[in-house]
Amino acid sequence: MSFGYHKLIPAKGIVEEVIDEVPDVRTLIIRVEGEYKVPEPGQFNEVYVHGVGEAPISISDVYDDGRIAHTIRAAGSVTQRMIDVSPGEVLGIRGPYGKGWPIDRLQGKNILIVAGGIGLAPLRPVIREIEKNRAKYGKLTLLYGARNPRFLLYKYEFSRYESIPHTEFLVTVDKPDAAWDGCVGVVTILLHRTEISPENTVALVCGPEIMMRFTVKELNKLGFRDNQIFLSLERRMRCGVGLCGHCQMGPYFVCKHGPVFPYWLIKKYFWVDEI
Amino acid sequence: MRPILGLISMVTGTLYYGDIGELRKLFDLLRLKGYRVVGPKLRNNVIRLEELMSFDEMPYGYTDSQSPGRYRLVKSDGESFRVGPDSLKKYLYPPELVIFSVTKDWKIREPEFYYPKTAFFGIKPCDMASVLIMDRVQGAGGDPYYLRARENSIFIVENCLTPGETCFCGTMGTGPEVKEGFDISYTLIHEDNLVLFRCGSDTGLELLTSLDLEPAPSEIEIKYRRMMREAKERAQAPFTIDDVPDLLEHSLNDEIWKKVSEKCLGCANCNMVCPTCFCFDVIDEPELDGSSKRVRIWDGCHSYIYAEIAGANLRKDLWARYRHWVLHKFNYWQTQFGTLGCVGCGRCITWCPAGIDLRQVVYDVVKEVQKR
Repeated sequence: MSFGYHKLIPAKGIVEEVIDEVPDVRTLIIRVEGEYKVPEPGQFNEVYVHGVGEAPISISDVYDDGRIAHTIRAAGSVTQRMIDVSPGEVLGIRGPYGKGWPIDRLQGKNILIVAGGIGLAPLRPVIREIEKNRAKYGKLTLLYGARNPRFLLYKYEFSRYESIPHTEFLVTVDKPDAAWDGCVGVVTILLHRTEISPENTVALVCGPEIMMRFTVKELNKLGFRDNQIFLSLERRMRCGVGLCGHCQMGPYFVCKHGPVFPYWLIKKYFWVDEI
Repeated sequence: MRPILGLISMVTGTLYYGDIGELRKLFDLLRLKGYRVVGPKLRNNVIRLEELMSFDEMPYGYTDSQSPGRYRLVKSDGESFRVGPDSLKKYLYPPELVIFSVTKDWKIREPEFYYPKTAFFGIKPCDMASVLIMDRVQGAGGDPYYLRARENSIFIVENCLTPGETCFCGTMGTGPEVKEGFDISYTLIHEDNLVLFRCGSDTGLELLTSLDLEPAPSEIEIKYRRMMREAKERAQAPFTIDDVPDLLEHSLNDEIWKKVSEKCLGCANCNMVCPTCFCFDVIDEPELDGSSKRVRIWDGCHSYIYAEIAGANLRKDLWARYRHWVLHKFNYWQTQFGTLGCVGCGRCITWCPAGIDLRQVVYDVVKEVQKR
């Protein structure tokens, strides 16, 4: 008899397309063989490179034909090898895992999305959902910041975001180049470039931890209550199923209790350095 | 069929006694019934947990002198031995396990499961308690190897009359007398050459009925209770556990963590010897034929890369990793699994190369919090 480590055994994922995004970042469009649950916005997969290793990657798009997209930044040997794949190659896919964005609770609400850098990737499925079922949701305010214009993710889709009815889309960069004529500064300054009312609004935030800290502070100042703010956290989620221990943040296993948390739930730990 | 269920209510809790020969008989009986017997065994001047072929391999006549960062084996007639560096997780949750391999063309091969029915013999109450904690950690959907190994294991537990210097099971409520989970518990009273037995399960009762025992007379039972009480007094930390878990949470932002962890080397010895530390990593072992083995290995929260993510290390400072470990054992664990994660076995104290005493750390941190 075998052990039965089903939870840790990946399914075969055929890479069908590789899209160059920004420096060190590519999007892989993958068809997963066999049974694979349709991911909810904000969930992630464990992606395995044969013989090299595994890493948790958020799901950045789900297509009607069941294919999924992963937008991956090369940050180490595993992710470097991951973005170096060619169409036709196989990656291991386990998932989808974790609690995603609170889609049920967004109906009839105004939605404020604040994304930093590659943090836009796990939020893209939310934008897609709003686009698809526009009448279900209130106003969409999409605020996006990146290091410099070269690092703006999904630039080719920006006009599409702008054309979503009843939507405001603002972009900023920390360091402009000569060609940039847009807003300059960290993403939180965008909160003051437009009219944002906490009334009937839910804020979804994803980006580097430092960016999320500043954003939460600003949101509180604008009158957002803690239960109106949702954050997607990044941790070393090695197993994805709450067994390996690595992703703990205080008493929470980010892989199964998150990665998306209501701010009030993690508030006590969020501000503790190196928790 | 024997009316085992009817008997059990009569015998559970009752102490039976016999001479030390009955313990040997129990050992032989287990081997005869086809159990792999695993227990304390002398190896390179350390008491390890290994398969025992004969009762004579039990390290009776030896004791260990343990203190923070120190372990020495010595001969002794009075004091018994305590736990060594191995805990039951060596068997129930092996340090290295190939969970599957995947060929070049993506065929998955799962290895065969091999875990013979096993009797853990002469293990200590703290280790029994650690198994009950691991049961909660793994839960119904937990590690498949653990869950199946657990089903195929029985536990013959030796109560501790002479807890060691690093033991604090009395504080944690896990010893020195075993309370639950065991199949048979026994207590060796060397000076009277007698062994007191107690049955904890149907399997245990079945085994005990093959021995020649008598109900312990009142004077023996009263002596036993006195010895157990004295043993418990020996196995105390400088704090009572009551509000410690709650108070520790208020220490999160305290500078004291930098002080108490000053000597820590980040070696993760404490993680490895801890009977409840369950963290693992899965690594790849590429083979010459192009296939790759996925191997589950023990990991520890003290290691530098434990909380590393793309482009950042969320616990790059050692004090933060140390704080996480203590908070996990004494606070987070309760939220996660409804029990504390420490059994007071003292292994992390003895096997810490820097001699950090967890009991003192918890005491110091709680005292600091109470100042506020």
